[in-house]
Amino acid sequence: MGNKQTVFTHEQLEAYQDCTFFTRKEIMRLFYRYQDLAPQLVPLDYTSCPDVKVPYELIGSMPELKDNPFRQRIAQVFSEDGDGHMTLDNFLDMFSVMSEMAPRDLKAYYAFKIYDFNNDGYICAWDLEQTVTKLTRGELSAEEVSLVCERVLDEADGDHDGRLSLEDFQNMILRAPDFLSTFHIRI
Amino acid sequence: MLRAALPLFGLPLAGAAATEEPTQEPRSSGEPPAGLALFRWQWHEVEAPYLVALWILVASLAKIVFHLSRKVTSLVPESCLLILLGLVLGGIVLAVAKKAEYQLEPGTFFLFLLPPIVLDSGYFMPSRLFFDNLGAILTYAVVGTLWNAFTTGAALWGLQQAGLVAPRVQASLLDFLLFGSLISAVDPVAVLAVFEEVHVNDTLFIIVFGESLLNDAVTVVLYKVCNSFVEMGSANVQAADYLKGVASLFVVSLGGAAVGLVFAFLLALTTRFTKRVRIIEPLLVFLLAYAAYLTAEMASLSAILAVTMCGLGCKKYVEANISHKSRTAVKYTMKTLASCAETVIFMLLGISAVDSSKWAWDSGLVLGTLFFILFFRALGVVLQTWVLNQFRLVPLDKIDQVVMSYGGLRGAVAFALVILLDRTKVPAKDYFVATTIVVVFFTVIVQGLTIKPLVKWLKVKRSEHHKPTLNQELHEHTFDHILAAVEDVVGHHGYHYWRDRWEQFDKKYLSQLLMRRSAYRIRDQIWDVYYRLNIRDAISFVDQGGHILSSTGLTLPSMPSRNSVAETSVTNLLRESGSGACLDLQVIDTVRSGRDREDAVMHHLLCGGLYKPRRRDRAEEQSPVACYQRLSSRLTWIKHFWYKASCSRHFISEDAQERQDKEIFQQNMKRRLESFKSTKHNICLNKSKPRPRKTSRKKKDGLANTEATNGKPPRDLGFQDTAAVILTVESEEEEESDSSETEKEDDEGIIFVARATSEVLQEGKVSGSLEVCPSPRIIPPSPTCAEKELPWKSGQGDLAVYVSSETTKIVPVDMQAGWNQSISSLESLASPPCTQAPTMTRVPPCPLAAEEPQPPFDLPYDPRPSFAFPPSLAKAGRSRSESSADIPQQQELQPLMGHEDRTHLSPRAANSHWCIQFNKGGRL
Repeated sequence: MGNKQTVFTHEQLEAYQDCTFFTRKEIMRLFYRYQDLAPQLVPLDYTSCPDVKVPYELIGSMPELKDNPFRQRIAQVFSEDGDGHMTLDNFLDMFSVMSEMAPRDLKAYYAFKIYDFNNDGYICAWDLEQTVTKLTRGELSAEEVSLVCERVLDEADGDHDGRLSLEDFQNMILRAPDFLSTFHIRI
Repeated sequence: MLRAALPLFGLPLAGAAATEEPTQEPRSSGEPPAGLALFRWQWHEVEAPYLVALWILVASLAKIVFHLSRKVTSLVPESCLLILLGLVLGGIVLAVAKKAEYQLEPGTFFLFLLPPIVLDSGYFMPSRLFFDNLGAILTYAVVGTLWNAFTTGAALWGLQQAGLVAPRVQASLLDFLLFGSLISAVDPVAVLAVFEEVHVNDTLFIIVFGESLLNDAVTVVLYKVCNSFVEMGSANVQAADYLKGVASLFVVSLGGAAVGLVFAFLLALTTRFTKRVRIIEPLLVFLLAYAAYLTAEMASLSAILAVTMCGLGCKKYVEANISHKSRTAVKYTMKTLASCAETVIFMLLGISAVDSSKWAWDSGLVLGTLFFILFFRALGVVLQTWVLNQFRLVPLDKIDQVVMSYGGLRGAVAFALVILLDRTKVPAKDYFVATTIVVVFFTVIVQGLTIKPLVKWLKVKRSEHHKPTLNQELHEHTFDHILAAVEDVVGHHGYHYWRDRWEQFDKKYLSQLLMRRSAYRIRDQIWDVYYRLNIRDAISFVDQGGHILSSTGLTLPSMPSRNSVAETSVTNLLRESGSGACLDLQVIDTVRSGRDREDAVMHHLLCGGLYKPRRRDRAEEQSPVACYQRLSSRLTWIKHFWYKASCSRHFISEDAQERQDKEIFQQNMKRRLESFKSTKHNICLNKSKPRPRKTSRKKKDGLANTEATNGKPPRDLGFQDTAAVILTVESEEEEESDSSETEKEDDEGIIFVARATSEVLQEGKVSGSLEVCPSPRIIPPSPTCAEKELPWKSGQGDLAVYVSSETTKIVPVDMQAGWNQSISSLESLASPPCTQAPTMTRVPPCPLAAEEPQPPFDLPYDPRPSFAFPPSLAKAGRSRSESSADIPQQQELQPLMGHEDRTHLSPRAANSHWCIQFNKGGRL
């Protein structure tokens, strides 16, 4: 714990604690993990708030992730500028959302964002097609995918505008109670 | 559970055939064979199996009787009734024979009655739920069982030391521990029997039930260890033996699981190669699972664990490999066997209890045991749950804990184990037997009776039968991936990480190895759910439609109306009909009898919604005539079915009914998939003379798909895309072509009605299907004839008029395919297939074109004159049933022919051998 001070100032840590759902210890753990991703890029001294980003290439090329269809999307959603490069803040945010303490609405909001591939604030058919295609890893043909998407839209589309707004999405997801309750990880 | 110690001879019939049955067959012996007897009574030769059959029959009849009154069965669990019946029967036997007969023999129980139940529960275990809760289940099964055994045993011993147990019960601490070990295990049979009727939420159920299955290993070990300690005498037990006891826990449990997994692997692998011998598929499942059980038993490993793992492990692959008929066969056989075994077990339990010669009652022991098992169970559950909740994402609340404590039922396993005790080594055996019987009866009857009111009173979250939505499926998968990704990033190897790993491993290696290539490709859960939903919608609409239509109002109030161009699902169709813009209903309006109307609506419905999934997999060999016949038969069948269903609903729950229907439909559809594949393969392999049609058909399918997508404005997929997809698929499957042919044959013909119906639907599919022209190559004249005659109007002079006028009314977009199809078949009639290519772009001028109304939903296409009904053919005098299928569809479909389609088609048409005009205006 001795090097805790050398990484963050006390105020920084406090701020992180305020902004996330983590304890100090967890923040430090996450920081080291973050630093691990790109040891040569990320300094061990964060007291001066260096502007460091771990490029998406590093995250996306992790061997564990290479088969995950959503790796890029996740990185994009949580990175500030949407290009998948993550700062420490983004990194902490990501886990913060996934923690048990995070409220359901927040989780639902981020889940929604992950679905919303074109960032237009709605899940439209195209977004869904992306999702389904990723999920099925190309095993469904295009028309099958679009059939499925249509059906999905249809099920959840409360206002019948042919796309899902955040409200639609929340309604749908909160209806199934154990949905979001499983949407977290322990670190 | 010491099954190794069972005498192996005479096992099968030990229970039933123990001795000659005096009551039933008084004349069994005594007729001396004098000369050539015209009539000989050979009871002894058939006695054993006869008695077994009789007992099962009695049990089944009893079940039927119980269920005659719904009131009784809703209040009293079946297991209670069966035990009571057993008591009565046992009393009768005892009174007549003067000695107890037909008891539950441990040998019979472990070797014959238990395996089917365990296999059934393992095979149909919801694996995802099971593994999600594996930690909790294992904790309860291992720690909980150990805790129960030791505390109960020790407490009883303490009771004895305190002088509350009569001194005639001669038992040492070890004896009590032995007794504790056998009485502590929650029994899968009892739990299943009671909980199935209670419908608590899935998590709760899987925890209690999973525990009851997995604790078998612990029980086996404890029982064996204690038993051998007792036999050795406590003085001779050395420290090493305790260590061995602990080690054997791992050997028995892991060994049992390993045996199960090995057999699961073998089973999956075997079923991969049964393409040509479909008939033995169900048998294989049972044989190998049973072999797993016996093997584990032989090696004195946990046999229950082995079978559970076998069922759990093989299901995915086996289900994918075996044919759909086999799947149904497996399912029903398994359920039947399990239910049979369960019935017999409870009945024999009741009968066995009558035998007072085995009993030795001691109130202190009995009451003490009852109290302790309840108390320690509850205490154990609370303690363990407290620990578990520190780790669980969704904590188990107090109510769950109450149900879990209360649901710790003891059953036949404990009884069989206590019977197996050696009286010379365990002098208190008789007391233990009596106590066990009381405990079993108490838990099954008292707790079984009260758990339902308790659950209600506590407002335990019930399992909701909310319909599975596609969203749910989709999000579940997505979330899994996201969570796995996040875990990966943080470098935390948690549950999601391992599941993800496993899934990838499964996908990369196991599935490749254990699944047929064809099966492997079809399997996609999302798609699967999609198509099941569609089927369900269709069915429920038929149901609704049947009733609603017969009354005057055609509105479906709950369905908001919706104006959309591409309506594909039945749900949408539903909406449309609710909107009042439902034109096909208008078409029917002019029809006289309400029945016909219903027919037609149902038909549209089914056609429209049912067969979208995997349309391209449809078998194409059907002649239209056959199709029409089938369609009509399907209609009657469906109606019949539904009417029946509604009549009999007071007995069967709606759910069950729906599930049945679903199954039937699924089977049909899946069968179709298989057969279509086989045709595809053929095409790819030999492009010889007879094949060209199919090939072209394929291509057309590709085209159709494209067009389907084109039809919908927002989608612009090049048709090459779809075509390419399809073609690759085919090439993948080429190697299997010949065998799949056999497959197809197998699949045909057994369930005639079901298949016929499915076939029909597809052929006559109204929904804009991917394969636009299902029946182009076989071109009997029937379709034209069909056009002439409305199904309900056959033989009526005014038919033709009716048709033409009705064509003007139109139609859900979904129904284009049917239209296209009919057109293509008509065209093909006119000219031989090979010559079709040039004609393909030409559309026969349609006299009706002028009449075509605006499609109600603002279809983006120009209504095209597409087809002229040849009036001359009208007289063909097709039977009513043949024609019934097509006419309404054709009428409806007409407006859908899109101009753009044709343009798309033409380039492609040149390539195909067989170019039929087909238009795919709408999206699927």
